[in-house]
Amino acid sequence: METWDPTTKSTLTQIPLLSVKAGPRDGAAWTQRLKEEYKALIAYTAMNKSKDNDWFRISAANPEGTRWTGKCWYVHNLLKYEFDLQFDIPVTYPATAPELELPQLDGKTQKMYRGGKICLTVHFKPLWAKNCPRFGVAHALCLGLAPWLAAEIPILVDSGMVKHKDDTAASSESSDVKAV
Amino acid sequence: MDEELLELQRQFEFAQQAKSSIRLSERNVVELVQKLQQLEIIDFELLHTSSGKEYITQEQLRSEIVSEINKRGRVSLIDLADTIGVDLYHVEKQSQHVVSNDSSLVLINGEIVSSSYWDTVSEEINERLQECSQISLAEIAAQLQVGSELIVSVLEPRIGTLIKGRLEGGQLYTPAYVARVNAMVCGAARGIAVPMNMSAWWSSLQVLLQDMDGFSGVAVESSFFQSLFNNLVKGGEILGSLRAGVHWTPSVLIDQFVYIHWLSSYILVYLAYMSSICQVFAMAQKKCVESFFSQNSFISYETLHKLGIPQPIQYLQSRYPEGKALDTVFVHGSLIEMLDNSVDDAVECGSWIVSLTILPTSFTPQDASKVLSFCPTVQRALKSGKAHVLGESYILSDTFVKHLFDSIQKEMENISLSGHSAVVSSDTSHDNSSNLADQDEYGNQSGIGKSAPEKGSKKKKGKSAVNVKGGSAESGMELQESTKKKQKKGKVNPGAQVSDPKSGAKKDTERLDQPSFLSEKSLIQKIMSMIPDLEEQGLDDPETVLAPLAQHLRPMLLNSWMERRKAAFTENAQQMKQLLDDLQRKLDEAFLNIQLYEKALDLFEDDPQNAVRSLLILMVLLHKHLLRTAATPIVDTLLVHLDKHCKLKNGFQLEGSQISEPVAMSSADRISLAKGLPGSLSVKAIELVETLEGKLVEAFISTARELIEESGLISKKLDKKLERTLLHSYRKDLSSQVAAESDPVSLLAKVVSLLYVQIHGKALQAPGRAISVAVARLKDKLDDSAFKTLQDYQRAAVTLLSLMSSATGNVRRRLYVGQNIEPEGAPRGFDAGVEEYSYKILTGVGSVSLHTLTGKMLVSLFCFFVVFET
Repeated sequence: METWDPTTKSTLTQIPLLSVKAGPRDGAAWTQRLKEEYKALIAYTAMNKSKDNDWFRISAANPEGTRWTGKCWYVHNLLKYEFDLQFDIPVTYPATAPELELPQLDGKTQKMYRGGKICLTVHFKPLWAKNCPRFGVAHALCLGLAPWLAAEIPILVDSGMVKHKDDTAASSESSDVKAV
Repeated sequence: MDEELLELQRQFEFAQQAKSSIRLSERNVVELVQKLQQLEIIDFELLHTSSGKEYITQEQLRSEIVSEINKRGRVSLIDLADTIGVDLYHVEKQSQHVVSNDSSLVLINGEIVSSSYWDTVSEEINERLQECSQISLAEIAAQLQVGSELIVSVLEPRIGTLIKGRLEGGQLYTPAYVARVNAMVCGAARGIAVPMNMSAWWSSLQVLLQDMDGFSGVAVESSFFQSLFNNLVKGGEILGSLRAGVHWTPSVLIDQFVYIHWLSSYILVYLAYMSSICQVFAMAQKKCVESFFSQNSFISYETLHKLGIPQPIQYLQSRYPEGKALDTVFVHGSLIEMLDNSVDDAVECGSWIVSLTILPTSFTPQDASKVLSFCPTVQRALKSGKAHVLGESYILSDTFVKHLFDSIQKEMENISLSGHSAVVSSDTSHDNSSNLADQDEYGNQSGIGKSAPEKGSKKKKGKSAVNVKGGSAESGMELQESTKKKQKKGKVNPGAQVSDPKSGAKKDTERLDQPSFLSEKSLIQKIMSMIPDLEEQGLDDPETVLAPLAQHLRPMLLNSWMERRKAAFTENAQQMKQLLDDLQRKLDEAFLNIQLYEKALDLFEDDPQNAVRSLLILMVLLHKHLLRTAATPIVDTLLVHLDKHCKLKNGFQLEGSQISEPVAMSSADRISLAKGLPGSLSVKAIELVETLEGKLVEAFISTARELIEESGLISKKLDKKLERTLLHSYRKDLSSQVAAESDPVSLLAKVVSLLYVQIHGKALQAPGRAISVAVARLKDKLDDSAFKTLQDYQRAAVTLLSLMSSATGNVRRRLYVGQNIEPEGAPRGFDAGVEEYSYKILTGVGSVSLHTLTGKMLVSLFCFFVVFET
């Protein structure tokens, strides 16, 4: 896989960087870290919205903020494909990047580890390591998940591995379909 | 949990819940608009900008165009398309719409121009016009970049309102300028007195205008002049008739003074320009000329030229018949009269006058001389020879000139008389006048006697010596020849050249005909020193005054000088003749004598004993003696006479005819004299002098004969008859001398000579040393007693002589040996033998006193003589 496209890079630079180096077990320092994570996420979300490029919803699943859950989606051929998104903050965070999971796509693509954890580019890890502790969750989403979705979803859709929910006749989720 | 964290969580939630903005791409928008038009929701025409990013409605475009025009007044459509950013097609379309709706706008050549723009332009033009007084439309059009027709159409309605001026023939003029040109035209029209072609008129006016306006002047079209002129004619300001539209004939000259004052400069130019003169100007000229002429009684042509009169002489002569025309001025009779009077005065008083000083300063020398030719007195005086006109303006009365001439002549004589010692250089010394030559010759003559001229330098000494020697050696033939030569020369160089270039003083005589003191320069100096007035006059330029005077006097002076020389020459000729006669006479005698004496030498030559050495010496002695005694005077007289003759020929005057008797001259003297003689004569003369030094009388006689013949004289040859008469006279002479002789020694010589004449019929001239031999030779011819007496006498004489010389010391040497008579290779005992012999004589008669000896000698000789006679 190539390096990131220019749009990704420019976006990444606009996300505020973090400063506190603390993992989930660091107590108060982690709280501080968490605050910074939120701030970065808010800025990233606002940025996406202003560019009409909103593509995920996440929220902390536990009070410590070590588990996150949410949804992410991708529009292909005017059809919105939406997937669940979950990930844990590893103990060695921020030295180790969080492993983003798309459990719905588990076993459907090669670019994924067991359990739905997405495979990142070779460039990701060194970049992350280099920018520890300045990169946070927002950066991981921007650098990891967004390119992955853009690359894999069209393939998955074209190969028929992933079908739009309208086609699957899941009427319960029809409200999520958007047609322009 | 941290509150802040919660707050952040909430904020994050809120941010995620917020509606994301919706963005449409351009493509979408264009599609939308197309959809709208399709659906006929937009029912009007939409234009888009040239960039393709904007839609614009027609109304908006129009309003933008109008605002642009309002802003700038004049807009080009292309510029408009650029500034609004709409395609030119739409802009043009809408512009036409705009212009058609607004009457104040005009669309010309792709430009929209509002009338307000023209107003402002007109104002600008007006401002400039007021500054420059005239502008050409072409200039304006070029400046505004519009067609000149458009300019005309635009300006015409504004002239008189916005533009204060007048449009004529493509030019704008201010009223003032029009008035000025109008005045010019009017002035010119009034100034014209002859029919005139209009086009020429206009062109000259144009030149004038351009001159006035200088470089920036714009050519005024002739139509402008024409229209102004037409107006003037119509208005009756100028009167005349216009023929064929181009020929103007003025009728009268009205009120010209007004415009003369008003337009005097133009008029003057025109008057000069046109060949004919208007009356007023003529009058002014006349007045001016009249006043000047009457005041000064002369007027120069130049003045008239300045007044514009082209032919002043005719003009003046027609007006003033009493005046005279000169080279550069015209004079009235009164001026001539005045000059005439003053000249008359000067002539009467025997003075001189410079006409230029009397005449006004503007007179040139040519004029002055011409004026003089008009003066009756001058003419009369010139005719009668009472006055001389020199250097064009100098009038000298005859008496004055004569006075000058006399004084110079006198001075000249003074110079001549004062001779060499004066300033005059040596080349002028012997030629200036007879007086001078006499003086010179006299000096030379005296120089002979005193061996050196008293007053001369070394150079002069040499010269005088030459003169003297040359004089004696001239003869008649040479005279004839030289006179012939002179006649020839005289033709070539009449009167002036008397000198023969061959003559001794060559270098000097060649300059004789132009004596330095008569050169112009020296004459001028002389005149200046004599008459200081003249010097003052000619102080600035002495040449003008004195040079002519000197030139006038010089030929006269030269003439008089020449006459003197001629007179001197004729005198000389007589003297020369006399001189030559004298010389001939003297020569005849002497030459015959020497020939006679030479014959006597033959006696010794045919002697058998001739072979003996001692007799050879005797012969040498005899020859030498003869040469010394008889030949030397001949040579001397010959040389002196020839020299004198030479000098006479060169124009010297000799003092009287007497030639001084030959004095003792050294051989060097003779040589120098001989060298002073001309040409071949000199060669012969030198030869002669050399033979004189030799030992052969025959050689001498032959060379002497040659010289005599060369110098044109006759050398007489001795014939029998002549010899006899000569011998007879010689004998008589000798016997009378013997009778009168009192000196015993010379008596002996004479007696011996007489005896030789008696016995041999030959005239012997023997030196004292040869006497004894001569006496010995007579031994056979005389009877013993007589011979004895003679021998005794001879011995006694020798004794006497030896005694006399012993009284002074050196005895024997003086008597017998002489100086160097012992010939080379003589036997050893020669000298000793002579000495012994003489000693015997001396001892033999030693006891006899000198006195008794003399008395005894006389007695014995007398006895002998008596015996002999019987």
